[in-house]
Amino acid sequence: MAPPAALGGGVRLALLLLLAVLSAPAATFYVTVAGLGGEPEYEQRFAGLAKDIDKLLKASSGSTRVETLYGPAATKAKLSEVLGSLANQATPQDSLVLMLIGHGSYDGFDYKLNLPGPDVSSIELASMLDRIPGMQLVVSMTSCSGGAVLALKKEGRAVITATKSGTEKNATVFARYWAEALRDAATDTDKNEVISALEAYRYASEKTARFYDTQKRIATEHAQLEDTGKGDPVRDPSAENGQGLLAARFALLRLGAAQAAAAAPEKRKLLEKKETLEQQIAHLKYQRAAMPTDEYKKQLAALLLELAQTQAEIDK
Amino acid sequence: MRLLVFAGAWAAVWACGLSAESAIDPCTQHRHYGRLDEAERCFAKLTFSQDPYVRAEGFWGIGQFQDANSQFRAAIAIEPKNADYRVRWGRLFYERWNKPEAEKLFREALEITKDHAGALLGLALIASEGFEAKAVELAEQALKADPKLPEAQELLARLAVEDVNFDKARQEAEKALLLSAEALDAMAVLASLDVLADKPATPWFERIDKINPRFAEAYAYTGHVLILNRRYEEAIGYFQKAIERNPRYLDAHSELGITYMRLASEKKAREHLELAYENGYRDPATVNSLRLMDSYKNFQTFLTPKAEVRLHKKEADLLRVYFQPELERAIAAYEKKYKMTLKSPVKLEVYPDHEDFAVRTMGMPGLGALGVTFGYVVAMDSPSGRKPGTFHWASTLWHELSHVFVLAATNHRVPRWFTEGLAVHEETAASADWGDRLDPTILQAVKEKKLLPVVQLDRGFIRPKYPAQIIVSYFQAGRICDYISQKWGFQKLLDMMHAFAGNTPAAEVIEKQLGMKAEAFDKEFLESLHKQLATPLEKFDEWSKRIRSVAAAAKEKRHDDVIREGSQIRDWFAEYVEAGNVYEFLADAYLAKQDKKSALAELERYAKIGGRYPPTLKKLAAIEEEMGRPKEAIATLEKLNYIFPVADPEMHRKLGELCLSHGDVHMAIREFEASLASRPLDLAASHYDLAQAYMKARRVEEARDQVLSALEAAPGYRPAQKLLLELSSKKKEDH
Repeated sequence: MAPPAALGGGVRLALLLLLAVLSAPAATFYVTVAGLGGEPEYEQRFAGLAKDIDKLLKASSGSTRVETLYGPAATKAKLSEVLGSLANQATPQDSLVLMLIGHGSYDGFDYKLNLPGPDVSSIELASMLDRIPGMQLVVSMTSCSGGAVLALKKEGRAVITATKSGTEKNATVFARYWAEALRDAATDTDKNEVISALEAYRYASEKTARFYDTQKRIATEHAQLEDTGKGDPVRDPSAENGQGLLAARFALLRLGAAQAAAAAPEKRKLLEKKETLEQQIAHLKYQRAAMPTDEYKKQLAALLLELAQTQAEIDK
Repeated sequence: MRLLVFAGAWAAVWACGLSAESAIDPCTQHRHYGRLDEAERCFAKLTFSQDPYVRAEGFWGIGQFQDANSQFRAAIAIEPKNADYRVRWGRLFYERWNKPEAEKLFREALEITKDHAGALLGLALIASEGFEAKAVELAEQALKADPKLPEAQELLARLAVEDVNFDKARQEAEKALLLSAEALDAMAVLASLDVLADKPATPWFERIDKINPRFAEAYAYTGHVLILNRRYEEAIGYFQKAIERNPRYLDAHSELGITYMRLASEKKAREHLELAYENGYRDPATVNSLRLMDSYKNFQTFLTPKAEVRLHKKEADLLRVYFQPELERAIAAYEKKYKMTLKSPVKLEVYPDHEDFAVRTMGMPGLGALGVTFGYVVAMDSPSGRKPGTFHWASTLWHELSHVFVLAATNHRVPRWFTEGLAVHEETAASADWGDRLDPTILQAVKEKKLLPVVQLDRGFIRPKYPAQIIVSYFQAGRICDYISQKWGFQKLLDMMHAFAGNTPAAEVIEKQLGMKAEAFDKEFLESLHKQLATPLEKFDEWSKRIRSVAAAAKEKRHDDVIREGSQIRDWFAEYVEAGNVYEFLADAYLAKQDKKSALAELERYAKIGGRYPPTLKKLAAIEEEMGRPKEAIATLEKLNYIFPVADPEMHRKLGELCLSHGDVHMAIREFEASLASRPLDLAASHYDLAQAYMKARRVEEARDQVLSALEAAPGYRPAQKLLLELSSKKKEDH
């Protein structure tokens, strides 16, 4: 087998991040907020989605670290209290997922999530989140949510918004598909039994786009992601635009039995071999465009077969 | 159409003061007699006039439209209350395809001079282009305002031609000739009537040529009339003759180019359209046709023994699987049924962007909403171009293919109502749940006795007198063919079709083939239709009220009320399957009460009668599967493939799984391939599914390719890894 050609430093780093095992953090805290609906229909829809997500998260991990606010309880004071409490509990090894559902507004400067009582602005949210250590994922699924990116983006925090700017003001459908992404095993496209934030983002944004396409409606929302803390949000994160690396590492939900944190000593060599093969496969895929198709297929088949054999050995 | 330049200039003469008239008249005379070079020189001189209005006419005459526009503006600034100037300015806008501005100016003229004949005529011309019923009324008003206005009389003649009222057209044209013995457009109408009637010769072209040997408009008009009557190949000859008479007559180049495009002769189409475009003829039809042809690079063409299918690259892999076999099946069925074979392959174009498809129907009467046939060329919307559940592509395909056969069998000499009626009949003949359902607007039209006599039915397709008349006309034509087929047998429809080929009027065909006068046929047909629709006609008003109470009960989750009330009214208007139909209310109520069996029965009724909403059909399939009826679930999802096979990889995957577990490996492979072509989110699983299906079909190499593709997408995918190991050990054993 021919060795893979050398990769540029940036790509190598990207690959390493992509290949990094979706490591189980010390703890993951989930906070879901369903804001004011304004009308009974929206009120019901937002609360229903929040409850769905709550149920899925609890069923998945059995975790008690799930906090869901909806209806009259979803106030700015309560949200501040929940996030304040996490600031005291969380360690730098922990992770936080904040999911916002509802209507948002944007005045050209700051984004606000509509809540019973005073609204919470993105600047206020950022200030609350900055006090919490560890990796963070903020998913703002409201109208105008694109207007929140500037205030929220930060190194170590992935930000997903349902709209590309603060001026996309119509009610969104992204939240529906985000909830579906957590429920649908098909979201786990790499079949590693973990739904990453990136996989869920791709699922929900694709389904949202398809919704507008099939309904023959002009799309009034365009989801985007920013997870470097210093770039512009993008709609299609990739190694090329440098976005999506943190989201790819961010384990949002575990589907099957979590992978053993440490393998038995006798299998350690096999695990090392498996990891090497996975890296070689990833390298080869990046080389695809630059090599003859037959050669690519031949090398890929050999690597995949070896990986399957190795996995079978591990599973024995 | 640009047939009215000369007559329009005459109108100017009529409209303006003597000094302007004396300046412009010699130029219009030159043009009228075909002395085009002299006319151009004459108009060029007018551009030096002191009078801005005369300068406007001069610039217009030499084709400097922007300058003409500026001069009209200057003329109006001097004489703001001059209605005549506004009318002429409006005509300039009309000629340059800016109908909103033209209409605005005509209306302003009418505010200045109530009943201004030229303004009324201008509005009539605009209405005529959209096949609006008010065109006739406006032209009549113009003539009333000025009984000596030949152009209004000529317009009435042309409108009658479009309305397939040829006797009236002849009378109107003759009246125009009485007003002006050299009314060339009236002569063109008479010539076209002779051509339509297949008369071996017409004296009118000769008469026209004697007055104006360069009058291309007459030949282009005849070509246009032939297009309206679906005689495309013949139209080409007349457009060519128009160009021979006056190569600078760009309208003819444009129409010829569009006609070639419709007949899929792209090279010739581009040649004429580009010539028109490059010379400043940039009407929407020319520009959009060129744009459409530019987009052909995004399409792929597939050949089958009897057809060429052109599909957009983004959906070709998916749709090809369904369109090609269906097209072949329909052609085979029609060849048998119509007892004829087609002389050349059918060319099918499928457009995912409805706007692209709309270019194909520009300038044509009728809805043209779903599909259109030009001889052997069929263009239609792709299912992806329509909202899910609103379009049955297979039904549309069979409809259009019926036109291909009927047009071929009759050499394009067939009344619109007959070919449309037969095509509608064929939709439900192919499958009872295809075709359009009876809807409230049709029911209302029947109730209000708005159906037209059969010999006038073509008019209902062209110039609707009420908003739903086109849809009602399709319905009526379809039911007429159903009735003939039921009473006299399908062969009678074929006999009528062949009789029409002789260009025989509908009344004669009916009398000869059905043995009764058209009036008697109308009476019999209507009696039969009223009998068929007796229940919905009688109960519709009450049904309308009570379905609302069912909807209210459903909203309030009063399931028992939904079931009681819904069951009572369900069969009163059984064909209503659109949003808010009783079947779905009932099924939901039964499901809420855990009565799956009854829910299933309601949803099956919905599907059988033609319900098409994909989520509802998927719900039906899920219940069928759950209740151990996989065969029925497969049939339900297969039905969905004829409605909305796009953007739904999950549906194809589900159908593939059902087929695989039910032993239909080939269909399973087709569905898993369709799932893959639908760009599923879970690419690895889709490849794996296909690999499994290939394995069952003993297509081991293809299975291996698919399993490798699955692992390429997700290297750690355990089931695919296991299958790869299995395949590898099998390969070793085989060696």
